[in-house]
Amino acid sequence: MSYRLQRLPVAKPSVAFAARIASVVLALLTAGLVLKLVGMEPLALAGRVLKSTFGSSFGLEDLALLFTPLLYCGLAVAVALRIGAWNIGAEGQFNLGAFAAAGIALFVPGPDWAQLPAMAVTGALAGAAWILVPTLARAYAGVSELITTLLLNFVALLLVYWVSTGPWLDPSGHALATTARLPVSVPEFWGIVHWGLPVAVILAVGLAAVFAFTRWGYEVRIGGSNPGAARYAGMPVRRHLIAVMLLSGAIAGLGGMMEVAGTVGRLQGGISNNYGYLGIMVAVLARAAPLGTIATAFLMATILNGGIILQTQGLTTHTVLALTGLILLYAAIGDEAAKYRIVKLAKGA
Amino acid sequence: MAEPSIQSRLGLAPGTPPLVSLRGVGKVFPGVIANADVDLDVFPGEIHALLGENGAGKSTLMNILTGIYQPDEGEIIVGGRAVSFASPVDAIAAGIGMVHQHFKLVRAFTVAENIHLGWSETPRRISRAALEARTAELSSRLGLAVNPAARVAELSTGEQQRVEILRVLARKARVLILDEPTAVLTPAEARELFAALRAFVAEGNAVIFISHKLDEVLEIAHRVTILRQGRKVATDWTEACTEKSLAQQMVGREIVLSDMRGTDIGRIGAPVLALEGVSLMSEGVTLLKNVSLELRAGEILGIAGVAGNGQRELTQVMTGLAVPTTGRVWLEGADVTRAGARRIAAQGVGHIPEDRLHAGMAPALSITDNAVLREYAKPPLSLGPLFRPWRATRLAREIAAAAEVMVPSFEMPARNLSGGNQQRLVARREMRIASKVLVAAYPSRGLDVGAINTMMRYFTELRDAGVAVVLVSEELEELLTLADRIAVMFHGEIMGVVPAEGADIEAIGLMMGGRHAA
Repeated sequence: MSYRLQRLPVAKPSVAFAARIASVVLALLTAGLVLKLVGMEPLALAGRVLKSTFGSSFGLEDLALLFTPLLYCGLAVAVALRIGAWNIGAEGQFNLGAFAAAGIALFVPGPDWAQLPAMAVTGALAGAAWILVPTLARAYAGVSELITTLLLNFVALLLVYWVSTGPWLDPSGHALATTARLPVSVPEFWGIVHWGLPVAVILAVGLAAVFAFTRWGYEVRIGGSNPGAARYAGMPVRRHLIAVMLLSGAIAGLGGMMEVAGTVGRLQGGISNNYGYLGIMVAVLARAAPLGTIATAFLMATILNGGIILQTQGLTTHTVLALTGLILLYAAIGDEAAKYRIVKLAKGA
Repeated sequence: MAEPSIQSRLGLAPGTPPLVSLRGVGKVFPGVIANADVDLDVFPGEIHALLGENGAGKSTLMNILTGIYQPDEGEIIVGGRAVSFASPVDAIAAGIGMVHQHFKLVRAFTVAENIHLGWSETPRRISRAALEARTAELSSRLGLAVNPAARVAELSTGEQQRVEILRVLARKARVLILDEPTAVLTPAEARELFAALRAFVAEGNAVIFISHKLDEVLEIAHRVTILRQGRKVATDWTEACTEKSLAQQMVGREIVLSDMRGTDIGRIGAPVLALEGVSLMSEGVTLLKNVSLELRAGEILGIAGVAGNGQRELTQVMTGLAVPTTGRVWLEGADVTRAGARRIAAQGVGHIPEDRLHAGMAPALSITDNAVLREYAKPPLSLGPLFRPWRATRLAREIAAAAEVMVPSFEMPARNLSGGNQQRLVARREMRIASKVLVAAYPSRGLDVGAINTMMRYFTELRDAGVAVVLVSEELEELLTLADRIAVMFHGEIMGVVPAEGADIEAIGLMMGGRHAA
């Protein structure tokens, strides 16, 4: 008897799901092993992380505040993936959304009831504007959006650093590197958790419904899966590509607005905190399904929160980056491995 | 019956065994018989041509001989012993090597690196200079001039082919298989190749030469084996053959399929679709040249020609996927030259595309999504902007039932279906919308005889219902059986349109080769 690997045309969903779970578990085990080798106590650390995350309402509130921007960014990336585009620029669009919303709050006076909706719309539009050039370049010239969206991140990041330390610096002199506190904020509904969270969840459910139950969603699905077939059926592939990519940028921009007006309260450099990049992980792990991003954003938030706790134990922030990298690596291996099965061969066959 | 033996005609000692023999080789893929009961002997000193239409089973047979596939039936005999090759590595070790139509070279590597890649005789540690010296030595010994230090990406196609051949010969192949080697060569390069092949077989080796260029086969080969529908039709000495006789055997000595042409002359109605002086240029290349065609309700118009002579572009212009550079397209008297695929489909033109996996389906999406590609925007599937997946599944069930395709789950990706079933689903989907015209490109490609018959029955049903059918095919037999008229294409031009009844196969064959209708 000998064994041989046999490749299947598609992975069975149950096997693929098990591979996902296994990849997360393996990544945690690997990280634990490394920590053990450098003389830490991985089990004790894990216990502390779990206790301080889930053991108190403070922990849960912190978790929710990390979960919110991850969900916006994850949704942004997932939406773009639906039409076959890689939005690596959620980070930049998030920054731009925060920047534009802060600008409205600080410099455009208006009645309180109008201020927040105006900020949300401006934030979303700013995010869309930030992806406009990469979108048009992809749609009309075939320029890969991967590079263009990525490079614009650095521009957006530096722009926010500059305004928050320069022209928009808090005039009161109390703060060194932020704007003044915004006069309006997204209201809270539980502890320090603001309405940005439920809005994101509603957005995820809404997007899932749009993709499943509208003609537009069907056309985007076909266009993203096989543009040739979409053209054959006479669908406006380019128009859908542009619309979906702008929507993706707008979602990230809205996330930035919620962050600046809900969680942080001021515009400051680095407000995006790598959420845009982590959003790529969130979307990929969820296979670009909007409802799935709710679960994967939660997982990522837990890891991120764990990282913050680990920092208090003398570990660097890079531990978390390494852990997320491991998960993605194992998930990629698991995706490939799920396409195989082991078959027994009779000897000599 | 005192015919001289093969050995003596090749100038070999009596009783010299073949270098390689196939005995009763058969191979079946799901729904398709690729090869059945094929015998083949290749002797030392022989160039043996393998001739057949696309899909006749030439490539499968050679893939079996080189260990890429394992035969379901029959055996391979090398040096008097039955052998089985688990992979091309085994085949080359037994002295059988193949140069594929699409070269398998690493473009970023040098010639010397490509020659030595994956070769057991490559020393484990070797300097670049030594590698190149070994290559230069091989090159001069085998009489194939190559520059060992050149990168493959910088070489012409002819030079790359030489590298491929050298790669095979360096591994001491005695039987060299070439898959349509001249398709990528200039005439001068082809002459050089022929000279090299003659020199190779003069040393007691053999070449199997796959082609469908008749003149070339007659020029280079000693003997020729003709395959049709996976079976061997004949093996003949080329001296005894003419282009005509080879063509006849390739497409079928006699037409055995029953005549499916309509008999009622009165059924052919008014013109439905017309092309008027249509030309299509792309990046300076003329794809269609001044094509004028008129298609009438209730007729089947066959489009014959060797693939790649503008058939794809013709179907694209007819279905709105391409806008002609000049000329007009009329659908029932309305100018639809620039109407686009959606409007033309909505007006009752169905399209079974040439490459269904890339043009007609989204293979990664569900069978439901694929089945409703033409009707998703109409009620009851869509109400205004809303799409109703449950109605989509219901329609998908209907289409699958009409197509007689068993679908275990409509959520399953369409790529899990066999090629034949995909084709049936697409055909049924398109027939539902084809109230005026159905444009079908190579609908029987890759199908077995039963599935082809079903497909042909679909077309006659449509024809009898008054739909105009355009049938693009490489199988002349199919066109002669089914079509009312046959248009022959060559280099984007219509060489002539002849009535299928009483059509002269040779005349059509000559038009396929670029001669205008007499």
